[in-house]
Amino acid sequence: MEVLLKAEDLYKSYKMGPTKVKVLKGANLTVKKGEFAAIIGASGSGKSTLLHILGALDRPDKGIVKFNGQDLNRIPARDLNKFRNKKVGFVFQFYHLLDELNVLENVYLPVMAGTSIPGWFLCRKWAKNRAKELLEQLGLSERAKHKPYQLSGGERQRVAIGRALMNEPVLLLADEPTGNLDSATGNSILEVLESLNKAGQTIVMVTHDERIAKRAGRIVKIIDGEIKGA
Amino acid sequence: MYKITLALKYFLKRKISYFAVLAVTLCVFIVVIVMTVMNGIVGDFKQNNYKVTGDCVVGTSSLVGFAYYEDFIKILEQQKEIAFVAPVIKSFALIRPKGTNTDEALEILGIDPNSYSEATEFGNTLFYNRSSVSDIFKVRSDPNLVGCVPGHSVLKISQTGYSDRTRISRYAYSISCFPLTAKGAPADAGTSMVRTKTFYVNDISRSGLPRIDGSIIYLPFDQVQKLCGMDGPTKRISRIHIKFQPEVKLRKGCEIVRSLWEEYSLQKQTETQAFLLGTVTVQNWKEFRRDSIAPMENEEAELIVMFGFVGLTTVFIVLVVFYMIISHKSKDIGILKSVGASKKDMIELFSIFAFFVGLLSSVIGLFAGWLFLLNINRIEDWLYKKYEFQLWDRAIYAIGDIPNRVNFTILLIIAAAAILACLVGAFFPSWQAARKHPAEILQVNQL
Repeated sequence: MEVLLKAEDLYKSYKMGPTKVKVLKGANLTVKKGEFAAIIGASGSGKSTLLHILGALDRPDKGIVKFNGQDLNRIPARDLNKFRNKKVGFVFQFYHLLDELNVLENVYLPVMAGTSIPGWFLCRKWAKNRAKELLEQLGLSERAKHKPYQLSGGERQRVAIGRALMNEPVLLLADEPTGNLDSATGNSILEVLESLNKAGQTIVMVTHDERIAKRAGRIVKIIDGEIKGA
Repeated sequence: MYKITLALKYFLKRKISYFAVLAVTLCVFIVVIVMTVMNGIVGDFKQNNYKVTGDCVVGTSSLVGFAYYEDFIKILEQQKEIAFVAPVIKSFALIRPKGTNTDEALEILGIDPNSYSEATEFGNTLFYNRSSVSDIFKVRSDPNLVGCVPGHSVLKISQTGYSDRTRISRYAYSISCFPLTAKGAPADAGTSMVRTKTFYVNDISRSGLPRIDGSIIYLPFDQVQKLCGMDGPTKRISRIHIKFQPEVKLRKGCEIVRSLWEEYSLQKQTETQAFLLGTVTVQNWKEFRRDSIAPMENEEAELIVMFGFVGLTTVFIVLVVFYMIISHKSKDIGILKSVGASKKDMIELFSIFAFFVGLLSSVIGLFAGWLFLLNINRIEDWLYKKYEFQLWDRAIYAIGDIPNRVNFTILLIIAAAAILACLVGAFFPSWQAARKHPAEILQVNQL
């Protein structure tokens, strides 16, 4: 399979008061197209930091991330915003939906964010239809006009998945997608991810739970900022 | 598009936005009222000063005046730029109302009513003879008597007494002057030193300028010339008031008069009273009334500075409110950046929010201000009747009703300034929001 993402020798540290905490210490990872990879590690092992770097939400102190052979470090900030908008979809543990927008608006938000005002008026109809289709696939058609606070945790996470898929990204990055859900609901979310992967979606998921990681096609362990078994 | 949608939703759904709107609305409301009223007062005051002065004045502040004015008036009258010219004598006199023993020092102004009304708008300040200015010194009951026109505050009778003209003409003043020679010596030295004549009140002038209305009596030109000793073989006056043709710009007109005067005074250098010409200046009406206008202009400047502080307060209020709003919206900033929003987008989003605050505040503030201004005189009347309280003390401000003419240009400027203040106030918090790192915001332990 063709390599989609390649992280080489990633280092990242954060300042916490007077001390500097080294989070990633030379992490390496390769993700192939169509793969469902799970990164498993204990709390504070650097798995979320790695995911953020892979999705260009953060930059490493040292090291290279190549996406389809293109070095993300060399992409200017403006194009990185475009990259996050078009190529990557994020699913977070706490769903991170905008409270002011309804479910449908939350789903088509990436299209709005990626287009100008005239551009939005041109593609508005398409975006709304695509968002409705996604909600239907995710079993949320009846919830389109609801606000996030009116939904259950599982429903919110499905909305977040819908939003992540809106621009048909090449890569879906999920940060503890079931971490805030009960096991039954978490299971339904994993089923959604599995079906997406079966349809060809590349997914990188971060979790601390080995049972959840086992649902992925490949498990990568991160221990103290280093990848084991990549 | 999402920026407008989200900004509108933030604006409508965050209660704190309404506090921002309330604060900015109050600022707009205050500025609209004070600006309109003060602008009206200052405008009226300047206009009133212009009305009593004309466009330009050639004159001296010396009590002995200056000579050779007649030829110069002829030269002025020949200029196509000049519409009207009026010689005036200004002096001081002791005024004793008839039937009393008390003297008061007041200013007397010797005028030819026709020319003076043409060069200035004196005629419009009269109570009775607006349409027949030439009659203001003619006492109807007795043609042998000489009339005078005191300022309305000089004549100490109640306002209602003005309507009874027969009552007015019973008031008379014995006016005593100290005539001076061209060199400033007493003209009647060795005799009585004082020239006195009685004048009968034949009209009242109300210019709207308290200092003028309370300290000047208008008298016939030739009578004042005699009283002041300026009627010798070489007659003297204090000043010439000039009105330019409507199309002539003030600056250009004054430059023409100035060069004419310079040329004329050079021609008269060999005359016996040429030394008086050196004290003569040519001034436009603003320069001539500088002593009166400057304090008002200072007040206007202070007002602008004060409004600058109001603007700063608005900026500060908006800054604090936006700081609070944005600190509660960190998560949203992280989410938006994760779906591809840029720093610029974040600044734009909160700027649009600030624009909505400024726009709504301006609309409400301007409307409320306009409504208040419409009723300001009724409100003041009520306050005065109930508590004897006046918003603008009439002893200081020469106004009847409070000026409440709304200037739409000023309203537009205030609205634009309010919106700008909101944008400026929101900029720093927006910029800080834009700088926030999405990875840090979206970390679980940051939520």
